[in-house]
Amino acid sequence: MTAEEMKNYRVSDYRRILQKGDISPRELVKIFLERCSQWEPFINAFLHLDAERVLRQAEEMEKFPPADEELPQLFGIPVAVKDNICVSGIPTTCGSHILENYVSPYEATVVQRLRRAGAIIFGKTNLDQFAMGSSTESSVFGATRNPLDLSRVPGGSSGGSAAAVASLEVPLAIGSDTGGSVRQPAAFCGVVGVRPTYGRVSRYGVVSFASSLDQVGPLSRFVSDAALLAQVLSGEDPLDSTCAPYPPFSTSDIPSYEETRKMRLGIPREYFSSGVDRSISEEVASAVEKLAKEGFDVIEISLPHTDFALEAYYLVALAEASSNLARFDGVLYGKRAQGVKTLMEMYHRTRIEGFGNEVKRRIMLGTYALSSGYYDEFYLKGMKVRTLVRQDFEKAYEACDILLTPSSPCFPFKLGEKISDPYQMYLTDILTVPSAMAGLPSLSLNCANRDGLPVGLQVIAGPFREDRMFGLALFLEELLSVEPPIPAVPDVKEGDDE
Amino acid sequence: MAHLSRLEFTEQELETFFRDLNNILVHFEKLDTLDLSNVSPTSHITWTSPPVNPDQPVEWGREEEVMRAAPKVEDRYFIVPKIVDKQEG
Amino acid sequence: MNNLKITIGLEVHCQLSTRAKMFCRCGTDYIGKGPNSLTCPVCLGLPGSLPVLNQRVLDLALQLALALGCRILPKVVFHRKNYFYPDLPKGYQVSQYDYPIGVNGSIDYALQGQRKSVRIKRVHVEEDAGKLVHEGMALMPDQSGVDFNRSGIPLAEIVTEPDIRSPEEARECLMMFRSLVRYLEVSDGNMEEGSLRCDANISLSRNPGEMGVKVEVKNMNSFRSVYRALSFEVERQKVLLHEGKEISQETRHWDEIKHVTVSSRGKEEAEDYRYFPDPDLLPFSIDEASLMNIREKLPELPLERKERFMLEYELTESEAGVLVSSKMLADFFEECLKELNKPKTVCNWITTEVLRNLKNLGKNINQSEITPKAFTELLRMIEKKEISGTIAKSVLEEMFTSGMNAREVISKRGISFISSEKELENIVVDVIENNPQSVADYLGGKQKAFNFLVGQVMRQTRGQASPEMVKNVLYKQLSAGG
Ligand SMILES: [Mg+2]
Ligand SMILES: [Zn+2]
Repeated sequence: MTAEEMKNYRVSDYRRILQKGDISPRELVKIFLERCSQWEPFINAFLHLDAERVLRQAEEMEKFPPADEELPQLFGIPVAVKDNICVSGIPTTCGSHILENYVSPYEATVVQRLRRAGAIIFGKTNLDQFAMGSSTESSVFGATRNPLDLSRVPGGSSGGSAAAVASLEVPLAIGSDTGGSVRQPAAFCGVVGVRPTYGRVSRYGVVSFASSLDQVGPLSRFVSDAALLAQVLSGEDPLDSTCAPYPPFSTSDIPSYEETRKMRLGIPREYFSSGVDRSISEEVASAVEKLAKEGFDVIEISLPHTDFALEAYYLVALAEASSNLARFDGVLYGKRAQGVKTLMEMYHRTRIEGFGNEVKRRIMLGTYALSSGYYDEFYLKGMKVRTLVRQDFEKAYEACDILLTPSSPCFPFKLGEKISDPYQMYLTDILTVPSAMAGLPSLSLNCANRDGLPVGLQVIAGPFREDRMFGLALFLEELLSVEPPIPAVPDVKEGDDE
Repeated sequence: MAHLSRLEFTEQELETFFRDLNNILVHFEKLDTLDLSNVSPTSHITWTSPPVNPDQPVEWGREEEVMRAAPKVEDRYFIVPKIVDKQEG
Repeated sequence: MNNLKITIGLEVHCQLSTRAKMFCRCGTDYIGKGPNSLTCPVCLGLPGSLPVLNQRVLDLALQLALALGCRILPKVVFHRKNYFYPDLPKGYQVSQYDYPIGVNGSIDYALQGQRKSVRIKRVHVEEDAGKLVHEGMALMPDQSGVDFNRSGIPLAEIVTEPDIRSPEEARECLMMFRSLVRYLEVSDGNMEEGSLRCDANISLSRNPGEMGVKVEVKNMNSFRSVYRALSFEVERQKVLLHEGKEISQETRHWDEIKHVTVSSRGKEEAEDYRYFPDPDLLPFSIDEASLMNIREKLPELPLERKERFMLEYELTESEAGVLVSSKMLADFFEECLKELNKPKTVCNWITTEVLRNLKNLGKNINQSEITPKAFTELLRMIEKKEISGTIAKSVLEEMFTSGMNAREVISKRGISFISSEKELENIVVDVIENNPQSVADYLGGKQKAFNFLVGQVMRQTRGQASPEMVKNVLYKQLSAGG
């Protein structure tokens, strides 16, 4: 099977050829392993990729073919897992020194769900340290590069997962989205990225960044695959009290095109402001126009507190992060600084040597926001603005069913371009943060290519309305028929890149 | 603040850090333009009442693995530098 | 100078009697288990692990708060208390802050016949930390060890207002806390094993209108040490005030061996716990219906029960006090009264013989073999003079150890006891016939001779008849014969 053949393969296609026996699970994973050996030297999407382990999993599948039965939903399908999600037997590093050789003694609920669905856990993907960043440059194991343009970042923090999917190293991946960490890299790499409703997917075994915002979501080349993956991942979990005790999302709930056409589309004007690259606004607007021509009811609406969401987000997220990252102290697991004599020395040196700069910066800011005397001025204010942002959406959904916006205010930028200016980096999340603050399901899909760079369009639905979100995204995907990227393997000899 | 977060910096690092932090903190002033006096804070996104555990113990059984991988263990205890005084924490 | 006003407030932590920990499924029964054997990703704070509340924690805490007359807040919110310490695996303790379980309650206790009341500021729940060891076989002098078996065990914290006026009152109030939690069966209240812990704030002031400088006293591991430590503080502070010296606001630890309080090294910085709502735990709402349900099931509380016992059964304060010190014992007492309505007798036997046997066996009444039915059967035998009190005591002892009832014990010992005067008659007649001289002496007015005859009968019966009955039958026979 060539890349050219594979580029239009959906999960259902892989399943069909596996079921017919045209290809064995082992042969299939070998094709993807081969892609990885071609691409990895250039993009560094994986932090952990053990071919033998992958082949062994595929072999297991062959040993126990479910005779005459319908194959499980993800039978034999390779899925890459972001390296802040615990997988048994292999490291979970969070891209940080402090967890460099850490192997989790238990497995995340989402990973177990993938296994149960027959997926092959392919490897662990690169990320910004502790998922804190928007470019995947802050990983201590080196930056990941955008397969569409190796001089550019893949976005972040799930940049490894997005790059792996965009280069077809794997057909599917999962990432975590706190303020846009699945959707923004999806937009930068021209693939589909989904943030489910907060509480839709278990966070058990996902190393927490900001607990009230973190949510695991799928990345794929096609909307239908993302929907299938969302179905596998979602559902209640007795190990996570923030996970809603609702039945899992089901792809059979997705409305037909006819029903979809009846949805009222809201276009929030604040998402097309001057802070957003003109070309991006234009492309998204043009996609909306096409929908209007299809007979959709399109209304302009306002989400007046959009402008304040980013600041509020950082206050809330960093406050939570400062507390969530306190456990990395070198007592029980991870790396303890060498030769420490006193307890205080152990704490200070372990943390100063273990964390990268952005992580330290965020811990400091979060500690500040929570400290006595500043709590009201910072953290409390963040939580109050969060209420306003949430209410904006609630009001909007009285007038429409779906919101359409750009996913990112900018195109993928060059490596190193924003790393020295933290606030510029924070700004790249400006369009994905508000729906995360409100806990709403949102999806980014590629709506156009400009000069070879993708433009992400964001679909935001009401709480637990993944059905509508996927319905509209499927419609758009078909309507726009923008080819998913299938970049050619760079014509540089291995190793030249570094 | 560095001490509260159990982080330690050199003078030079501190300088850059404070510059960056201040650059970020000024942006937060934007929030002062909002009247928040009658707004209740959202600390959690909740759609339902949370699940609970039954009061029945279940053994995990993999403690040994954690101990084997820990930075320092003796006699099944996790070892840290001597704690001189409770107040140190 | 002599009229110094003493002000004491208590902060009591008690371990809630759950089988599983507060936020994970690990067991709580850590006594005798190897270090770090009752642990899991959650109570070790492993990356990615998340807490899920044990429902029973809320139930027990609500019972406690309701029994303390607290107002129950409509919503339960967990906060994180952030600080670094090696026994705290997550770098924060899950506790409660501005939404405790209950507020504004009170606890009443009696001291020298006087009923006193202490206001309760709040009752909240939180997770326990691990345990630090500083000495051990494998520990180097520059090392400390951590055992996380205790990590995540649920605690209730009760904070009183500073309404206590003396070390005696403090001890008494704390004892009332213990009997309360035992009554409710929310905690075993054992101070020695650390399931009940108490810190105190104490201040002395010359001016009754104002509070002095607050000193916090910690590390008091028994009721006696609470009394001793606070008495020591009163004396220490008196001397300082007398000498016109300042009392510094500080934390002091009670030294159990030297019997002094020692200042903990002064804090270099004020602790800033950065409390904020734990985003991993959604708030719980407390509905009126389940609250009503708990309220209805609350048992009668110790002080009320004690007062009722005194009134209804005419017991003394100390008798009633002993009985209500444990709910099981008080329940046992009242069960016995259903079988045998002699409160005084039942009380006497329980507070002496029953408690002595329990103490020897190291059991509580529910763990012992004795049932109210078996116990009152024994008392009834004494009542009917079928056996003597002395024998009853040894029979009771064997009932405790063997689990047999009184009749079984007696027949096992191969002694048929004499249960009716009729059975005695033959022996008495025998004795009269064989001791004509003594009979004559008695009839001649010698009381001693009567006692001799009683002794002879007792010997014949091998002690199996009660002296009362023997005297009775003997008297009747002698009168009849004379
Ligand atoms: Mg406490
Ligand atoms: Zn546990």
